[in-house]
Amino acid sequence: MEIWIIFSKLSIILFLGISFVQSETSHLGWIIFAVLLYISLNFAMYLVLIEKWKRAIQMVTLLFIFICFWKLNPLFLMLFPMNFFELESFWFVKKWFVLPVSLLPMFLIPGHQADYLLSTLFCFLIYLMTSLYTEKFIQYEHKYDKMRIDLQKLTKNLNENKEYIRQSEYTSRLEERNRISQQIHDSIGHSMTGALIQMEAAKTLMALNQEKAAELLQNATHILKDGIEDIRITLKNMKPPTEQIGLQRLKLMIEEFSIQHQLRVPFVYKGNIDVITPIQWKIIYENITEALTNSLKYSGATEISIKIQVLNKLIRAQVKDNGKGISSGKMVKGLGIIGMEERTASVKGTIIVDGSNGFSVTTLLPITE
Amino acid sequence: MEIKNLTKKFGDFIAVDHMSLTIQEGEIFGLLGSNGAGKSTTINMISGLLKNNGGEIYILGKNIATHSKFAKMNIGIVPQDLAIYEDMTAYENVRFFAGLYGLRGTELRVRAEEALEFVGLSDKQKSYPKNFSGGMKRRLNIACAIAHRPKLIIMDEPTVGIDPQSRNYILNSVRKLNEMGCTIIYTSHYMEEVEELCTRIAIVDHGKVIAEGTKEQLTAIITDTKEIWVEVKTCEHIDEKSLKEIKGVNTVTIEENIIKIISQAEINNLNQIIQFFINHGLEIRSLQEQAPNLETVFLTLTGRNLRD
Repeated sequence: MEIWIIFSKLSIILFLGISFVQSETSHLGWIIFAVLLYISLNFAMYLVLIEKWKRAIQMVTLLFIFICFWKLNPLFLMLFPMNFFELESFWFVKKWFVLPVSLLPMFLIPGHQADYLLSTLFCFLIYLMTSLYTEKFIQYEHKYDKMRIDLQKLTKNLNENKEYIRQSEYTSRLEERNRISQQIHDSIGHSMTGALIQMEAAKTLMALNQEKAAELLQNATHILKDGIEDIRITLKNMKPPTEQIGLQRLKLMIEEFSIQHQLRVPFVYKGNIDVITPIQWKIIYENITEALTNSLKYSGATEISIKIQVLNKLIRAQVKDNGKGISSGKMVKGLGIIGMEERTASVKGTIIVDGSNGFSVTTLLPITE
Repeated sequence: MEIKNLTKKFGDFIAVDHMSLTIQEGEIFGLLGSNGAGKSTTINMISGLLKNNGGEIYILGKNIATHSKFAKMNIGIVPQDLAIYEDMTAYENVRFFAGLYGLRGTELRVRAEEALEFVGLSDKQKSYPKNFSGGMKRRLNIACAIAHRPKLIIMDEPTVGIDPQSRNYILNSVRKLNEMGCTIIYTSHYMEEVEELCTRIAIVDHGKVIAEGTKEQLTAIITDTKEIWVEVKTCEHIDEKSLKEIKGVNTVTIEENIIKIISQAEINNLNQIIQFFINHGLEIRSLQEQAPNLETVFLTLTGRNLRD
């Protein structure tokens, strides 16, 4: 951005140079020296990084301009406005205020008033635009930085969550394995050993007492039969249907909620709930929990009804209270509702929030095949 | 036309909430929703009367934010509130609105007359709308919107508060416009109109599209069966088995002298069912078909009636 200010300064110097040459002033050498000095002062200002020094050099430059104006040539005053603007930018926010001040020296150079006016206005415009865009640029930079940091945080969160999911999956798998091996040891292992001992005994007794041996073999058969039955039961227990997990969990939560808060929470479900997948159960469960908390906090309801319907191509879960509701113009989406929306959108579903008759939150999820 | 993530907020209130829709050329697309669902707000944003807070609208592949003139030339809007001047004649009204789109001279005159003829107001072109019935005003309102021959016509509740005759006239002219190649967006909270007229429908509630598709696709969300109740004089000799063999029939139950047949919705087997009763010499006393309609879809999905 500074480049525009530098260019405008350069163009003024050019203008000065041309007018000096044309007017054929006597001490051209001094003038060239003064111009070069001015340029080097400006360079120094742009090179210095400390704010205080910048200001000091700027003031020296201004002073130098006035000396040149006094001793050498009145036209040097033309360099004044731009440097003045740069200096004031350290203190003033309202730019319009400085324009009349910068125009004041116009009365010091009779004969060149028009030139001075033109160059001042020109400098002012350039300066105004530059500072405006610099400001905007800085704003965007800040915003961009903030977003980048947010993004980093989110990515980190995501990674942590992924790790957590992986960990908990692994843990639950271990637990499950442990449970199964325990069960095999406790029931099946015992019956196998039992049967084996009986059969060994039968083998030994075979020649001596056939009747006794047959009895032992019969025993072994019984034990093995029981063992097979055990295996069957274990396998069946190991593989519970998903709807049982989802539904049981939901029922339990609703019951607890109802007792804890002394509210009536009737729960009905309709249709073939087998089609609800575990991930859909999870979303339904979380949305219902969220909606229950919302109703409890804001509605003043005495009853919150929950209904899950499985339609032909859609699953619909509604939580509706008999509280005071919200007129639709006043509805403001809080974090809770936004959370539900995002969660639901992740499985291509929709949320309908309605406050016209009590407060209701409806989750619609497409049935996946 | 395509809408992507369109959003409009009035203060904290979100009138349209990340709405996305695609409308193909040549469709009559219905927006169905109760009052305050965000239909009119959406339409006002498409027509450029309201600025959106987020999202994009494309018409014939061009973003209306950057091609507003192109968009305006190709859209004709029939607003919900009548936009006609009572102290100008019908003809002058149409001429005025068509003139706003840059039509001049003979072309303007011919197009204005055509538009009036189209809505059946040719013989009233010198009369003043203040003497018109509600239906005639509506028709004039349509004429004003179509004189510049837009490709996309948006009608916002064009049948509110008018007599049945004018209503039929308007519905027919919507069909005619569609046959002439116009794409039409039609909003209404009259379920019957939308069901009858539209090739595709989006159900809108609280600023969101909650379901979208043809009437059949929408009803299929709820159920894929219909119930047919046949009341007969006596039902002692009914051969349930052969009734079940009719294509589409799922179950048959008999309650006193009413036979309830549950059948697949998409199969039209009413003829065969009636034939069955005639062939078996059973006298039909009454017959009811209970198929789900859009009202049921809306009620089931939102838990509310369309007209609350």
